Amino acid sequence: MLQEVLKLKKHRVAAAAFIAVYGWLFLSIAVPSASALPIPKGNVHAIPAFARKYGMPCSSCHEAWPKLSPFGQQFKDNGYQMGNEKDAPIYQNPSYWPVSFRITPHWHRESVDHADITNPLPTGATTEGRLTTHGFDVGGLDILTAGTLAKNISFLLVPAAENDGSFHFEAANVRFSNLLGSSWLNIKAGKFELDNIISEKRILGLSNNGGFYQMYHFQPVGEDTAMFTFGLGDNQFGAELSGHSKNDYTRFSAALLSSNDGTENLPNGHGYDTFVTLSQAFEAGSLGLQRVGAFAYVGRAPTYTVGGELGTDGLGQKSFYRAGFNGLWYIKKFDVMTQYLHGLDNALLGTATPSYNPLPAGAHSPTWNAGLIEPHYNLNPQFILIGRYELIRMSRQALDTNAGNLGDIDAGTVGFRYYPFISSRAGFAFHNEFSVVRQRGVSTSGRDLTSSSVFLGLDFIF
Amino acid sequence: MKGKALTVLLAATVVLFVAGREPARGRPSANDGPAPGTAVVKGIAKFEGSRPAPTHINMNADPSCAKLHPGGLVSEDVLASPEGGLQNVVVFVSEGLGDRTFDPPPQPVTMEQKGCVYAPHIVSLRANQELDIVNNDATTHNIHPAPSNNREWNKAQAPGTRVDATFAREEIAIPLKCNIHPWMRSYIAVFKHPFFAVTDKAGNFELKNLPPGDYTIEAWHEKLGKSIQKISVSAGGTKELEFVFKSTAGH
Amino acid sequence: MHSRKSILWMFLAAALLALPSSAMAQKVEGHVGKLNGHVDAGKQLYFRYCWGCHGFRGDGNGENAPYLNILPRNFVSATFKCRSTPTGTLPTDEDVFNAITRGFYTTYMPSWTALTHQQRADLVVFIKTLSTRWTKEKAGEPVKVPAEPALTTDGIKRGKELFAKLECWKCHGQEGRGDGPSAATLTDSNDQPIRPYNFAAGTRFKCGETNQDLYKIFMTGLDGTPMPSYGEQIKPEEAWDLVHYLRTLQVTHNSAELALWQGTKEGAEIVKAAKITGTPTGSGIKQ
Ligand SMILES: [Cu+2]
Repeated sequence: MLQEVLKLKKHRVAAAAFIAVYGWLFLSIAVPSASALPIPKGNVHAIPAFARKYGMPCSSCHEAWPKLSPFGQQFKDNGYQMGNEKDAPIYQNPSYWPVSFRITPHWHRESVDHADITNPLPTGATTEGRLTTHGFDVGGLDILTAGTLAKNISFLLVPAAENDGSFHFEAANVRFSNLLGSSWLNIKAGKFELDNIISEKRILGLSNNGGFYQMYHFQPVGEDTAMFTFGLGDNQFGAELSGHSKNDYTRFSAALLSSNDGTENLPNGHGYDTFVTLSQAFEAGSLGLQRVGAFAYVGRAPTYTVGGELGTDGLGQKSFYRAGFNGLWYIKKFDVMTQYLHGLDNALLGTATPSYNPLPAGAHSPTWNAGLIEPHYNLNPQFILIGRYELIRMSRQALDTNAGNLGDIDAGTVGFRYYPFISSRAGFAFHNEFSVVRQRGVSTSGRDLTSSSVFLGLDFIF
Repeated sequence: MKGKALTVLLAATVVLFVAGREPARGRPSANDGPAPGTAVVKGIAKFEGSRPAPTHINMNADPSCAKLHPGGLVSEDVLASPEGGLQNVVVFVSEGLGDRTFDPPPQPVTMEQKGCVYAPHIVSLRANQELDIVNNDATTHNIHPAPSNNREWNKAQAPGTRVDATFAREEIAIPLKCNIHPWMRSYIAVFKHPFFAVTDKAGNFELKNLPPGDYTIEAWHEKLGKSIQKISVSAGGTKELEFVFKSTAGH
Repeated sequence: MHSRKSILWMFLAAALLALPSSAMAQKVEGHVGKLNGHVDAGKQLYFRYCWGCHGFRGDGNGENAPYLNILPRNFVSATFKCRSTPTGTLPTDEDVFNAITRGFYTTYMPSWTALTHQQRADLVVFIKTLSTRWTKEKAGEPVKVPAEPALTTDGIKRGKELFAKLECWKCHGQEGRGDGPSAATLTDSNDQPIRPYNFAAGTRFKCGETNQDLYKIFMTGLDGTPMPSYGEQIKPEEAWDLVHYLRTLQVTHNSAELALWQGTKEGAEIVKAAKITGTPTGSGIKQ
């Protein structure tokens, strides 16, 4: 036990060192600069209200928050319940309030090679150059409310405010769990995250380039992303039927979703998408729990809108799909997440052609393959090293005139999270990350576009 | 080897003999085997101060118990004679015996449950000495010692049956309770040597057969705490001691 | 080649001889089936999952202990509720493993099936390092659970008589609702108030779900609680009668015992009276 005490002391020293480093950064970086790049939406779901409710440390449900452990996944799949008749609100202290907050003050530096810097030049000639911005920022205040309304009825509500003060629900759903007393029968309705085993809502990256999975949002070059936006990582409207074995080793889900990528008020909506997943975990001796899974999303998207205006009815719906398989591999403290994805968009979607017009000559449905490998080294519940490499390769371009590798992506991220303390009340992490993304042939002049992020942040959750 | 076998045989005979007759009630005598010494420490435990008001026991939970106490019953927490003698104080040698070891006596100590009360209120015995717990009530009790240095266990005991128990390690004193009848509480003092006594109604105690030497004598009361005196005795000598317990304010 | 091999054998033999003397004496082991628990792995798991309630030292005094109405198990005192072994003895490794796997109904101890069998075995061994009892004492000899006799109405009736004779109702109440005359005064070994099991509302027991589990509960007692062992008081066949009767008290849980009992005139009346109607439903409230 003395060792534990020593370890704690060591952590205190480490914490002091970190505070010194950050203090130095604060003082030495005197050029505040506004971020010019959009920050990806990242309402990340770690919910300390549950830690408070059950008195468990973050490390029970999260290998390193927000990444779930198998136990946390089981808790979530059971409708935010431990299953010992203590989950319903009537067993809570009346003052318990199922609300969590997260805020991430940070300093970041964004750099883009071959960025279009035409405008400042009087000649008007196309000029490309390196554009670098840096400064302090906050990742936006996340408010997460989640819990049970009664036995086997749970909810998740994530209100989000935009920069302009407008307000929407990032997630809002109710789940009826263990219908007919069976863990194989659970129904969720509302706006929710797709059942991605590799969840973008629990991603261990926070930077502009590393805070999301490229493959969850990739669309081939040439598509009209104002009309057709889709991301497996985006929360969607719909209803989901899911089930799992008691120990959560086997799990499946099937969802029926509105074809609007989770945008409110069904602006483009009169189609339905489906998303199905299946995964199976197995034990591998002292290595840990391994899991393999497969998923498929089949959707429809409009090719034109009424009056040509956005936000009106979408018409000429054409189909697309994303399908793949994944694995979570544990080798004691070391783990790797792997995923393969194959995507296809209808040729009309791929060439941004309204369905009432003929296809351009030689147009195909664009297809691509994507791969992800994300290793972690979880030294102990207080420290995790993160690496990630993602690649996307077009296997068929929409137009033969396109370069074969147009739009291909390579993305890498390295970082670590250090949690100076672990408690069952709140979470705090030092988050440091470097991320770089290169996409082929997408700069204004058709050259590769490379952007990188440096992120030094403090991640608070309560 | 032969000698050992003989001793075992002898011990077994004694056990059988003792088990066959009505077991001796109350405190075990310390003079089994050759006496280790000849010195005597005796004296009195006294209670000073205002006596706590006697607490009446509510036996409503079990009418079969209440029936046996038509006049009601008060708790046995603090029992002092009109002269100030304090009953149920455990007096024992706490230090000074060195590494002498003593075999536990073969005869068991008996404790009785009658009228949903333990008799005696304080049981004192030796480590590994058998304790026979008898249920002479018409109701089921459960025997639930809550030791800190011995194993906790909990056994149900139907009317007219016997539960045998031993405690392996010294502990002064193990609380004993019956969960069914929450007023049933007593203490079991377990010793690794034979030099202990429980004060009688007048508060008197006597430790016999002590070898000569320097000792710490401790007196322990379940509610009033403990008191220590250092003494030295010579062979054949007698030492008189007085332990005074004061009422603890607010209790 | 040959000589090298023999040297190796000699080394092995020497190592084997040297081991039992000191290194092995203090070592705690744990075996669950074919699984061999590893202390170091268990320690890492403990300091990830368990310390919030059970504490850094395993004394059940974690940062959340003050907020729990049933205190977390104190692994230092090593008194365990759910055992297959007699009252006052240490449980078997399997008993501890099963407790981790099952969790404890109506408490904040969840089921840990999300951990692999190996990980749970690792935890068992680490838990055993938290108390010196595991090096000083051996686990008790598991009580024998004889084959369950055929279920009969007479058996249920005999069980009903035993329930009265053994005075189970003093704590559990005549209908098994946990509201007997002594129920309100019960405390566990930490002097915390504790409620007797309410058969009428429950489906699972703290120590399992099967008839065997129920048999073991009252034959071994739940150490640390007021529930005593009846192992020395009743015969195995009586114990099975009692098991069958206790099942009929679980009026909200479908069982063969309840079905048979409801098939008799006497049983049907008793069950009907025990089922409280007109109470709110759907909230999961257990009375
Ligand atoms: Cu009693």
